[in-house]
Amino acid sequence: MMLLAVGCSHRTATVELREKVAFDQDKLIRALDDLTARYGCEAVILSTCNRVELYLARPDAVLTLDGALITEFLAEFHQLARDQLAPHFYEHRLADVVLHLFRVVAGLDSMIVGEGQIAGQVKRAYETAHARGAVGPVLHALFQHAHAVAKRVRTETGIAHGRVSVSSAAVDYVRQVFDRFDDKTILVIGAGKMGELTLRHLRQLKPRRIWVANRSPEKAQEIAAACGGRAVAWEQLDEAVGDSDIVLSTTGAPEPIMTLERYQRIRPKRAGAAVVILDIAVPRDFDARIHDGDSTCLFNIDDLKRIREQTLRDRQKQIAPAEAIVEEEARRFSKEWSRRRHGPVIARLTQELETKRQAIVRQLFSRLNGQLTNEDRAYIEGAFRLLQNQFLHGPISALSEEVHEGGGHNLLDALRKLFRLGE
Amino acid sequence: MPLDRVTIFCFAASYSVAWLLELTLLLVQRPALRYLATLFGAAGLLAHTIYFLVQRLTLDSQAGSLLFLAWILATFYLYGSLHYRRLAWGLFVLPVIIGLIGLAQAFGVSSAGDSAHGVTIPVDPLQFWNLAHIALFLLAAVGVSVAFVASIMYLVQSRRLMTKTLPGDGVPLPNLERLENMNRRGINWAFPLLTIGLIIGLVQMAQDHVQLQGWTDPRILSTIVLWIVFAIVLYLRYGFRLRGKRVAFLTIMAFALLLVTLVTSHQHKPGGIP
Repeated sequence: MMLLAVGCSHRTATVELREKVAFDQDKLIRALDDLTARYGCEAVILSTCNRVELYLARPDAVLTLDGALITEFLAEFHQLARDQLAPHFYEHRLADVVLHLFRVVAGLDSMIVGEGQIAGQVKRAYETAHARGAVGPVLHALFQHAHAVAKRVRTETGIAHGRVSVSSAAVDYVRQVFDRFDDKTILVIGAGKMGELTLRHLRQLKPRRIWVANRSPEKAQEIAAACGGRAVAWEQLDEAVGDSDIVLSTTGAPEPIMTLERYQRIRPKRAGAAVVILDIAVPRDFDARIHDGDSTCLFNIDDLKRIREQTLRDRQKQIAPAEAIVEEEARRFSKEWSRRRHGPVIARLTQELETKRQAIVRQLFSRLNGQLTNEDRAYIEGAFRLLQNQFLHGPISALSEEVHEGGGHNLLDALRKLFRLGE
Repeated sequence: MPLDRVTIFCFAASYSVAWLLELTLLLVQRPALRYLATLFGAAGLLAHTIYFLVQRLTLDSQAGSLLFLAWILATFYLYGSLHYRRLAWGLFVLPVIIGLIGLAQAFGVSSAGDSAHGVTIPVDPLQFWNLAHIALFLLAAVGVSVAFVASIMYLVQSRRLMTKTLPGDGVPLPNLERLENMNRRGINWAFPLLTIGLIIGLVQMAQDHVQLQGWTDPRILSTIVLWIVFAIVLYLRYGFRLRGKRVAFLTIMAFALLLVTLVTSHQHKPGGIP
């Protein structure tokens, strides 16, 4: 069997290079067709912003592919110089491919350890190749198992727990204060990119309404239209803050827009109702002194970053258990695969020897007819069976050992030829 | 084991072990510990129930009412532990339960027909109005206790937010809104029950020609003060829209008064007999 993975990732190549060798949907399909036609192999191409990897397999080893050949293919496909790619590309073979793919799909090789997107991307890569008819028995089994590995790692370890983006961390703080959101109003002040991302996460909470306040009424209208909200005049900001439950502030103002004095004038209008203010602007928009942890909870960009850092620290602790699962699953896959491939050959070999043994024993008993007691017959039969088992033990063990070392195909062919087992 | 050998120690110890396990959970996050804590809590509740049924405690005694209140809170604890496994209910509810059992023990446990410290009103629990008076008061006490637990949790959660503790760190608690709702429901539930219970009690005493030793009778006094505090809490909440920590502090005060009411004895004699 030939199993090969060739690629580059955020660990080995710059983003510029990764962009050059990335595949969009059209290129991906063309490359899959090229690979299967040119090398007669199974192929799956994984192309994300952090990695480009080609997984290739053939159940036989008639044609041996290697990293250099595939790098050349990639250089030709993307019209780049081979030397430009080669230093940044890695190559894995046989059992190492299994381990590598399982680590990738579990998020252990990701830029942010444990990120969940990669599992979906691997699944889509497999589905695209499958739809194109580029997947055969080897990659089918491998990618199905990889999917199960990703699930197991996520379920059994905390590697995917917590928030890693600053924008999504805001939701964690909001959930510490509010229980339901269908009666809540979100006020967005300003129009920063970060605010846009944070609002996307807050919208998932399904708030009752979204208001947008901006110095520029046109900009406010634009953002409001994009998020299904309503624009609020900048002059009515105090009223809007007074009536909102969650305030997301992201202006580029050089001075705080909400001083303590200004907020003190708004506070009585709130009648004690709790408000969470997410001030992700730099410099900050809200005076930090308004935070009381009761009716007014103010969180700034540093507070949100602390969640991300904590999550990453927690995930680091989960790497070892996740690696253990990945290694265990890689061993299991190799074992299952070898059993599936070698099972019929071993069965045929055993059957062949069994038939021969029975024929010889029958012949022997007919020649010695009348001279043997039942005990003698059992003894002779046992001796022949022992000889057969000892004879088989060597080839079967060697086959199993070679599979663990990442081979198995040559020996399998040798066994077929030596014992005339046929295909 | 004969059921009459179940003692207060059995369930007090079970609840205490459950609480220690809940405390350990703060340091070591092991699901097995949580299950074990719930198991000890459930064992405590079972022993508590058996004790209550076998000893036939009278609810009009201090110890009886305290143990009954503890039993209801233990049911609440078990429900919370099973339905909100990730939250540290037990950490806050179990000390209240253990405290109530401790108070009951301190005041002497009286079973039917055997009053250790003696209830000075010779009430017949079978009498409908008397039973209604006791039941309403105890149900109100349940509401106050739930509101008290919610208030303590609210203050802890508020402190966490004040210091900007990371959401995943420390004691896992419900959010402020849920705790405030819990507090509100507890108080809203308790106030009408307390009011009706109080009216029934006063009418009954008047009908039985009970001679009060003035308004200084501790139980009467503490019940009326408790009712007034409740009325103030409700007025401030709905009239002045008072919320958050201030309501939590007032609720804690109401719970303290409730305890005083539960442990104070009537100082009057029934039927005008001196």
